[in-house]
Amino acid sequence: MPAISVRELRKTFQLKRKAAGLRGSLRALWRPTYESIEAVRGLSFEMEDGELLGFIGPNGAGKSTTIKILTGILHPSSGEAAVLGHVPWQDRQALAFQIGSVFGQRPQLWYHLPAVDTFYLFGKIYELDDKSLKRRIAFLAEAFEIEELLETPVRKLSLGQRMRCEVAASLLHRPRVLLLDEPSIGLDVVAKQRLRLTIQRMNELEGVGVLLTSHDAGDIETLCRRVIIVNHGEIVYRDKVSSLKRRYLTVKTVDVRYNEQLAADFSLPGVEMVKVGRYGAKMRFDTRVTPVEPVISGLAAAGSLADVTVSEPSLEDVISAIYARTEA
Amino acid sequence: MRSKEAGALAGEGRVREHSAAAVAGKYWAVFRTQLLNSLAYPIDLLGRSLLIVLFMWIFMNLWRVTYGAMGANSIAGLTLADTMWYLMMAEAVMLSKHDLSETFSEQVKDGSVAYLLNKPFNFIYYHFAAGLGDSLLAFGGNLLIGSAVVWLMVGPPPGIAGWVFAGAAVVLSWLLDFCFSALIGLSAFVVEETNAFRWIYQKFLLLLGGVLIPLDFFPAWLQTISLNLPFAWIIYGPARLFVEPSLARLGHVFLQQCIWLAVVGGIVWVIYRRVVARLVINGG
Repeated sequence: MPAISVRELRKTFQLKRKAAGLRGSLRALWRPTYESIEAVRGLSFEMEDGELLGFIGPNGAGKSTTIKILTGILHPSSGEAAVLGHVPWQDRQALAFQIGSVFGQRPQLWYHLPAVDTFYLFGKIYELDDKSLKRRIAFLAEAFEIEELLETPVRKLSLGQRMRCEVAASLLHRPRVLLLDEPSIGLDVVAKQRLRLTIQRMNELEGVGVLLTSHDAGDIETLCRRVIIVNHGEIVYRDKVSSLKRRYLTVKTVDVRYNEQLAADFSLPGVEMVKVGRYGAKMRFDTRVTPVEPVISGLAAAGSLADVTVSEPSLEDVISAIYARTEA
Repeated sequence: MRSKEAGALAGEGRVREHSAAAVAGKYWAVFRTQLLNSLAYPIDLLGRSLLIVLFMWIFMNLWRVTYGAMGANSIAGLTLADTMWYLMMAEAVMLSKHDLSETFSEQVKDGSVAYLLNKPFNFIYYHFAAGLGDSLLAFGGNLLIGSAVVWLMVGPPPGIAGWVFAGAAVVLSWLLDFCFSALIGLSAFVVEETNAFRWIYQKFLLLLGGVLIPLDFFPAWLQTISLNLPFAWIIYGPARLFVEPSLARLGHVFLQQCIWLAVVGGIVWVIYRRVVARLVINGG
C-alpha cells in the first residue's frame, strides 16, 4: 500500500471580489461577486512508504494547498486521497498521530521559550510517556546536532538552527510520513545543506517517508529520487530526479572574475558569452553539447582566477524548458 | 474512561487508547507552557500589574468623597473598606482576563487556525488552557500589588474564606469570559472586523458587570437587569463573594456561572463546529 495516494484531486477557492472605491464597497456589500480560483486541478500521484518525494513548483502552483489537503485541514472540491489508509479530511485527528508536518513560513516552536519546552509540550500533545519522550529528545538532538541549542530561547536562534529544531519537533512522535512545506525557505546555502543532510539521515534511520515541497530545485536534487513538478495546479513533470537532471539541468551558468584584465575578445568554444567585462564574464553552456572539463580548463588558462560561481537553471527555467519540450 | 478520540486507528492497525489522563495531560502541558512563556518577561508582567495601583488610587479618592458626602458608614450594606476590597478583586479579574478574541479572529482571518488544527488536540480547549496560564500569573500579580495598596488605604482584607471562595469563582469567570472572547473571535468569519463587538463587550463588563461600581449601588430595576445578564457573574459574582464569603452566596454564584457557561459555551460549540467545517471546506 502506498503511503500517500491521490487521485484526481481538485480544489477550487471562492474569492470575494470588490471593485475599487466606495461604490465598489457598497456594491460588494449588497451583491458580493465571487471569483473561482482553481488551486489544484486534477492531481494524481502516489508516494511509497519511506520514499523521499520532491514536490516542486513556483509560487502559487498549488503545492501548499495539496499539503493542506493531505494533513486534513482542507477539504478538496473533488477527488480522492489516502494517507496511511486514512482519508485526511475525515480522520484528521487520528492521522495527526502518524504524520508530522513543518510549514516553513509558520513556525510551530514557541518563540520566547527554549525549543526543549515546545518539545515537552508536543510530547504531551502526542501522548508520549515521559521516559520515552526524554529518550526521543536525546536521540533527535544528537541526530539534528541541536544539543547545544535546545535550551536557548527560539528567538535567539538563527533561521537555520530554528528550522532544524522545527523538523526535529515534527519527528518526536515517530511519524511515518513527514510533510515538509518549504522547509528551506530563506536559508543560506550552508544551512540548507545541513538541513537536507539531516532529513536524509532520518529517512535512512527511521524509514520516515518525506513529501517535500520547495521552489528550490537544489533541495530536490540532493534529497529526492523522484520528483513531481506542478505548475498552475497541474503536474507538468514526474520522473526520477536523475532524468530531470539529465534532461533539464544541463545548462550551467558560470560567473567568473579575474585578478587581471581580460582580453577584449575573450571567448571559449561551445560557450555562449552572456556578458564580458574588463575583469570578469558571465557565460552559459549546455553540458550535453560542451563537456565541463574543457570549459573549466579554458577559464583557468585565460588568466589568474579570483572567483568562479557555477549555477543551475532556476526552477522557472526548468519549467519553461519542460513546456517548450512538450509543445515541440 | 475514553475520550472522543478513542478508537481511532494509529500505528499499524493498533487501536490507540486515549486515557483521560493523557488527554488532560495535553492541556495541562499547554497551560504550563503558557505559564513559562509569560514568565519569560517578568518586567512586562509586573508592569501589567502596576496598572491596578492607579485604578485603586482613583477609586479611593472617588469613594472616600462619596461616603463622606453621604455621611454614611455603609452604602447598600458595604462599608468603604468593603467597597475598596470589592473593587480590588473586580479589577484584578478584569485586568487578568486574557482577551482571546483578537488572537482568535487573527487566526481565523489569516488562516493560521489551520496550522493548529493539524495536531491532535481540540483548538478551543487548547486556547483555554493557554489563556488560563496567562491569566493566572497576571491575576496573582494583580492580587499581590492590589492588596498591598488597598491594605494601606483601608486596612486588612476579608478573611481567608473570601480568598478561597473568590479564587474558585474566578476560574469559572475566566471560563465564561473565554466563551465570550471565543464568540467575538469566531464572528470574524462572518463580519471580518470584530473590534466593535469587543468594545461593546468591554463596556457591558464595565457597567453591568460591576467593574466600576458594585451592582448593589444600582437602583433596584437596573440591579435586576444586571443580575440577570451573564456579565455580572464574570466580575461582580466573585468580587462580591470576596467581601462577603457565605456558603449561600458561593452556591448562588456557582449556579449562575454554570448556567451561563452552559448557555454561552453551547453557542460557542455550535458556532465553532460550523466555522471549522467551513474552514476545512473553503480554506483559510
